[in-house]
Order: sequence, then structure tokens, then C-alpha cells
Amino acid sequence: MGAAPDPVGTLRAEYEALERAYSAGHHGVWAARRRAGLVDVAIAELFARAGAPPGTAVAAVGGYGRSLLLPRSDIDLLIVHEGVDGDVVSGLADALLYPFWNVGFDVGHAVRTPEECERARDRLDAEAAMLDVRAVGGEPSLVADVRRRVSSWAGRDPRRFVAAIRDDAARRADRFGSSAHLLEPDLKEGSGGWRDLHAIELIVGVVGPGAGGTALLRSRERDALDGALEFLARARSALHLETRKPSDRLVLDHQPAIAAAMGFEDEPRLIAIDGLMRALFEHARQVEFTLRTVIARFLEEASESATVPTTTGAALGALADAAEADREPAAALLDATEDLDPPEGGAWTDDERSAFLRLLRAGPRGSASLEILDRLGVLDRLIPAWADVRCRPQRDPYHRFTVDTHLTATLGAMGRILVDETDDDPVRAEAVKQVSDRDALLLGSLLHDIGKTGEGGHVAVGSRVIGPILQRIGLPDHTASLVRFMVSQHLLLPDTATRRDLSDEDLILDVAAAVGSQERLAALYLLARADAEATGPAAWTPWRATLVRELVAKVQRVLERGEMGPEVAGELAARMDRLRDLLRDAPADEVDRFLSRMPRSYLLTVEPDRVARHVATIAPPVGAREVRAVHLEGARAGASELLVVARDRPGLLSWIAGALSLAGLSILSAQVFTTTDGVAVDVFAVEGAWEDEIPERRWREFRGMLRRAVEGTISLEYRVNEKRRWYPAPSVTVPVTVAIDNGASDFATVIEVGAADRLGLLYDITRVFADLGLDVHLAKVATYEGRVVDSFYVRDALGRKLADDPADVERAVRRELA
Amino acid sequence: MKLVTAIVKPHRLDEVKDALREIGVNGLTTTDVEGFGRQRGHTEVYRGAEYQVDFVPKVRVEVVVDDAEAQGVVDAIVKAARTGKIGDGKLWVTEVEQLVRIRTGEMGPDAL
Repeated sequence: MGAAPDPVGTLRAEYEALERAYSAGHHGVWAARRRAGLVDVAIAELFARAGAPPGTAVAAVGGYGRSLLLPRSDIDLLIVHEGVDGDVVSGLADALLYPFWNVGFDVGHAVRTPEECERARDRLDAEAAMLDVRAVGGEPSLVADVRRRVSSWAGRDPRRFVAAIRDDAARRADRFGSSAHLLEPDLKEGSGGWRDLHAIELIVGVVGPGAGGTALLRSRERDALDGALEFLARARSALHLETRKPSDRLVLDHQPAIAAAMGFEDEPRLIAIDGLMRALFEHARQVEFTLRTVIARFLEEASESATVPTTTGAALGALADAAEADREPAAALLDATEDLDPPEGGAWTDDERSAFLRLLRAGPRGSASLEILDRLGVLDRLIPAWADVRCRPQRDPYHRFTVDTHLTATLGAMGRILVDETDDDPVRAEAVKQVSDRDALLLGSLLHDIGKTGEGGHVAVGSRVIGPILQRIGLPDHTASLVRFMVSQHLLLPDTATRRDLSDEDLILDVAAAVGSQERLAALYLLARADAEATGPAAWTPWRATLVRELVAKVQRVLERGEMGPEVAGELAARMDRLRDLLRDAPADEVDRFLSRMPRSYLLTVEPDRVARHVATIAPPVGAREVRAVHLEGARAGASELLVVARDRPGLLSWIAGALSLAGLSILSAQVFTTTDGVAVDVFAVEGAWEDEIPERRWREFRGMLRRAVEGTISLEYRVNEKRRWYPAPSVTVPVTVAIDNGASDFATVIEVGAADRLGLLYDITRVFADLGLDVHLAKVATYEGRVVDSFYVRDALGRKLADDPADVERAVRRELA
Repeated sequence: MKLVTAIVKPHRLDEVKDALREIGVNGLTTTDVEGFGRQRGHTEVYRGAEYQVDFVPKVRVEVVVDDAEAQGVVDAIVKAARTGKIGDGKLWVTEVEQLVRIRTGEMGPDAL
């Protein structure tokens, strides 16, 4: 034994030498063939040493049969015999297999007669493996017999054979997903991977290179397949060498090592691992598409497309016809489309535009057609920015697909959402009715992530590149502006809903200002749904849906009521600009801090020049028991403006009202606001109850009274009642009215009280609220000819609107005013 | 060791995270959850389409800490998650019997 070298030991050494000779990323087809050659030598030697009897042979099948062995591939053997005695054959098998097993090679085997081979091909994988049968040792005629039997059987019914391959590819795609866009693809079984490549070769092998005059495989496709084979061989080999196992799933953990081994380096807009994945996706897409096309070319009945399109517009039109009729486009049409060589760039023709929009409207077939256009390189020509998102991987917890696949999937989802009446989303149907421009919805879905080009900030990039795209397409203004809006704001709803406080009225107003119209709001909602649906199951959970819907409903009502909209938003922006100008001497960050603290309602009701006068009083931090009261010149002669600033607390408004009335000051109007950090800013227009010019002593008296009321050292109630005894009851008879409206605002209950004017009326009403624990968030007080109409926006102690049946409140107010 | 579990408003998560990082907590787990407490579900209306929201979206934060740090973590979460309005959530502390760092096999407080 000792003298003769052990063939498998030698093989092991040769494998290792090969591994050392090339870096891990450069074991391509050549190395795979070399490995198969080395195995051939070892098997032939073992076969000879085993003293195999006549009538036996050993053959390579499967990948080994094709002479493609990757570093950790199984070696599949077929031992063929002509009915030789069972013991003899099993002795031969032992002599061949044990040496391999002992050294740790994975060797698979079958022992059959040629007749048994013919019967064994009931399974496609066995049949496919035997189609690659190749003699390695023993009698070549036996192996030739096997090949003849199997391939003639396959060739007798090529349609059945090709259909079986098609079905098998579909099953694999279903089970393993696609190598053409999954972030952790299976390089062997995934669609577009190694097995699909082999499937194409099998079809070409069985059917022959041409059928019915047209080539089954075009020369460009042949080149692409060769490139894909080399790439996949290298990637799979690198994975085998990296993991020391026959792994075929390219998981994230291994991608950096594989990328480095294959020579991918970080580039400005594409990191190395993304470069690797992008290259893989490009190859896998070609394989996926070529397999589909080859099958279609072969299985297609006599070509139905009578006219071959000669312009891109006509080709798109023919694709749209097929999509609308819900049928696969003819292979001949795809070939003709690929052969078109339209002039580069420039505006779209009317034909192109109308056919493209028809494709967008055509549902699943339409989005499938866009993928075909992508594979044919037409989409790049129509939308040059598409090239930047093609095959680009996305690495975040949500996305599973490349950017471009995600975009076509979003289009598909939008198409479904627009028409799917079985969808149980309560907001969907109403939102769909809101948007009259479906082309904009579809195009906005297709292009919403067009800014994901690796330059960071994809929304900003998208907003920049969408303009030229829309210009080339040449869309009506309304459509173009809605698409532009969708691209630039597609994250507004989901981001705001999940990260911000939806009970903050100013937030809702800001979102409403950014959205501007009910149609746009509906468009963003539908896009958020389609985007999520196309992203993966984690993106639209009931959790997220609830939050996004709450935001949409609140913004919708704000827009509906006109509390915010383009005009109001413009007005608000103009006022802020004006204010910044007035305060230009103050440090800009202090002004910004002030603006961010103030509720939008304050900025919208108080004129900028008056706000400028308020800043000094409002801006400095307010102590717990501090009360600042400043009177300023009023809007008209005889009236003064009174500004009171204090930490907000229940009862504050009633104390101010009580102190004013005790000091002989009449309230003409009152507006109360609360800053985001809980400071009450109350603005009153007051006049003297007894004189035209308010003497300074009355202000002093007011301030003293208010301070003591806040400190709790006097009873305002007692004093007001005392004082009231000396004055007659109101002479006019005005009925007391109390109207409570829970629907006017999402954030507060509106209570409107009408009554005859009397001394301390506002004090009485607000004290009732304070007793009931209600916080007055906004108040509008107006007095007309002895009649007062006051509206109060109130919330309960927990910041909620009142319960649905606030009868207690009405009763208490009526009792007080009776 | 203690497991501190808090149910907080989604928009307070960043504050809670920052507060915990500030006191040196270097790991936590969050989950999107839905439920209701006193802040029951409610009816939403969008353009006349009414629908019931039975469960309110919240975020569950879980932190395992040494006994000595538990109170500090509780205080930090409560302070960061409080808005003073209904629905600020709840927090509870439970005993942890054993802890293993899967990578190394370290156990108990070593695995924190």
C-alpha cells in the first residue's frame, strides 16, 4: 500500500495548492474546470486500482458532469453497469467512494444500468443531472448509452421538458426568492442564480440553438450568460472558501469578506458590499430574464405580433396593449424592442408618454412590463436617473428589495390600492375619492425614492432630480406638481406619526401647512400605504397604521375647517419674517427659540409689531409664582392692551378677570395662549370702567390684587360679590346661552357662552371652569352693546377634550349666570 | 438583577433613550405594542368614514440592570416619558433570576 501514492490524498493536496494559487475571489470557471479535471484523474486511478470488471463504468453527473466543481461542491458519481453481480458492483462502489469519504469529500452516487437510468428520470433533477453525464472511467460506450437514452427521451417531447423546467424554476423562485434583488440571496437556488443558468443550458442543449428560424439565444444573451457564469462561480467559490462549507446563501455577515476578495472597494456613492450586490443583481437579472425569454420564445405559438415596432413609442404601445389585455408580451416584441436604438435623451414623444401612462395604469401586468423595460435597457433611456437606483441595495431594517424593485413594487401596490374594494382600510376609500389625478399617484409611486442614489438625504436628492424627469416626460402642470410634492414629502406622514406628539395642535397645523390641501394629504396617505406594502411586512403594522391614520384624520379636519392651508401658511410665514425683521437686533437663536415656543394661534392673531412689544415680557424664564403684567398702548384711543404672563395653572384666567373687575377695568376682548413650555400668555383689550384715560393707580391696584390672588392671600370671590352689591343688575334682558361643541377642534372642547354684560362676568364663567378642573386653552371674549359672547377652548386636567356628554358643565355655567 | 419594563408614548422614545444613555445604561430593547389602559380606544373619523381604534399604539422599553441601578433607571424613564397628559404609560420592575450573554456564556451581572 505504502509505496503507491494515494490518489485522493494527492487530490486533496492539489485542491489546496489551487486554493493557495489564487486569492479567494478569483476562483472562477477556469478553477472549477481544473478541479473537475483533478477529480477525474483521481477517480480514473481508483477505478483502475479497483480492478473493475468488464461491463462497468463510472461517470460524472450534475455540476461535476459539466466539469464545474467549486471548492466545496459535492462530487456526484454515477456507476453504470450491465447487470453485473450485485456484490461485485458494491465492491467497486466501496473502492471508489470510501477513499473520498475518508478524506472528507462529499461524494454522492447512484448505481444503475442504462435501462434503470432511463426509468430514473421521473424527477427533473435526476433527469437534468443525467443529461450532463460524462464518462470518467471504464467502458465509454455504457455512458454513451445512458446519455443517448436520457437525451432522446427529453428530446422526444421538448415542450414537456421545457414546461417542467419552467415550473421547477417557478417553484425555486417561490421557495428561495430571487438572487436579483434580495439582500441575502441564495446564489445557487435563488431565481437568477446558478440553477437558472444551468436551466438555460439544458433547454438549449435539448432543443438546439434555434427553433423555427429564430435563435433561441441571442448572441448578446450568450455573452451575458458567460459573464454571469464566471461571476457566480467566483462568488460561490469565495463563499465556500470563506465559510469552509458548501454555503450558497450570501448572508450579510459574509458580504464584506466576499466583496473584498472579489476586488470591490468603497466608492463615493457605493460602498464595497453594495458594489458586490449590485454586480450580482445585474447578472442575476440577466439570467432570470433570459431564462424567461428563452422559455417564452420556445413555448410561444406562432408569433402573433404582425407588426414589429420601429419606435420606442410604438414598442411601449404594444407592451401596453398586451398589459391591458392581461397577457405576456410576445417574445418577438421584446426582441424588437431591444433592437430599437432610439436617439439618446430629449423630451418624450406624445406616443411614448401616452403609452407609458397606459402601462402605469395597467396594474400588475403594467409594473411587470416596466421591469421588462428595465431589463431591455429602455427605462434607463427614458428616465436617465433610473440608472442611479438600478440594482442598488438598501440596508435598513425594513427594506428587502433593491431601490428599483421597491419602486416598481410600490407602483404595483398603488395600482392595487386604487381599485381594491376588498381592502378593509377605512381611510383608503375616502382618500382615493379625494385624488382626481391617478396618473400623478402612479407616477409618484414609481418615482418616490428616485433620490436614493447613495448621496445621502434621499428626499432632498429626489426633490432635485424629479424636476428634469418631469420636464422630459412633459406632463400637465397639475400632475407634475403633485408628483413633485409626493417625491419631496413622502416621509412626512410616517415620520411625523411615529415620532411626534399627535396631541400637539401646533404640530398638526405645521403638517397641514406643509401639505396644503386635502387632495395632497390623501395622495401622501395612499403613497405611504403603497410604499409600506412594497417594503415588507414590518412597514405597515397595525401599530404604524393607527398612528398614520390618526395624523391624517387630524390634519384633514384642520384643512377642512380652514384653520390651516396655503393662505394661512403663507400668512404665518410672512408674519414670522416680519417679526424676525422687527427683532433683527436681537440674537437670531433667541428669536428662533421664542418663535418655537409660541403657539401658531398666537402668531396668527397677534400682529407682528405687537408681538415685538411682547417679546421682552414673554421671553425670560417665568418663576413658579411670578406674574408679569404689562399694559401697552391699545389699538384705539381709550383702550389699552394688557399682557399677563405667568406659569399656566387652573384658575389663572379667573383671577386675572376678577382682579381687572375689582380694579375698575372692563375687558373688551381676551385671548389666552399657552406656550409649548406651559407659560400662559394672556392678552386683553381693556378700557376704564369709569374714565376714558386709565389712571396709573388702577394698573397698580390690578397688579397688587392679581399678585395676592395668585399667592392666595385674598378671596376674589368675596370681593367681587361685595362690590357687585352696589351696582344694579343689567337692564337689558339677554337670555343666557351655553353651547358646547366637541367637534370644532381635535384638541379642545369649545364652549360658547352668551349673556348680558355685568360686572365680573368673565370672572364668574372662568371660575366655574376652574372649579370643574377645566383648563382654558384659548378664549375669545367680545362685548357688543351690553351683550357678551365668549368662546372658550377648554381641556380637562389631563389635557383631553371633555367627555361626550358634558351636561355638568352647561348646568354649572347656567347656575352661575342665572 | 431587575428587569425594568415601561410602556411609553411612541414620541417619547427618543427622550427615554437619551435619558438612559445619560445614566450609563448601554443596552435596551424596544417593541412596538398596542393596548389600552385608562386611555381607552376611541373612534376616528376621516371624511365621514368612521372607524374604531381599540388599541392605542405604544412602545415597550425593556432594560435589565443591576439591583443598585434599578431605581435610577426607573426615575430616568419616568421623567423622560412624562408629558402630564393621559396615556403617558406605565412602568414595572421584576426580579431577574438569571442572565446569560449568549456570545461568551458569561452569566449574572457579568452578562449585563
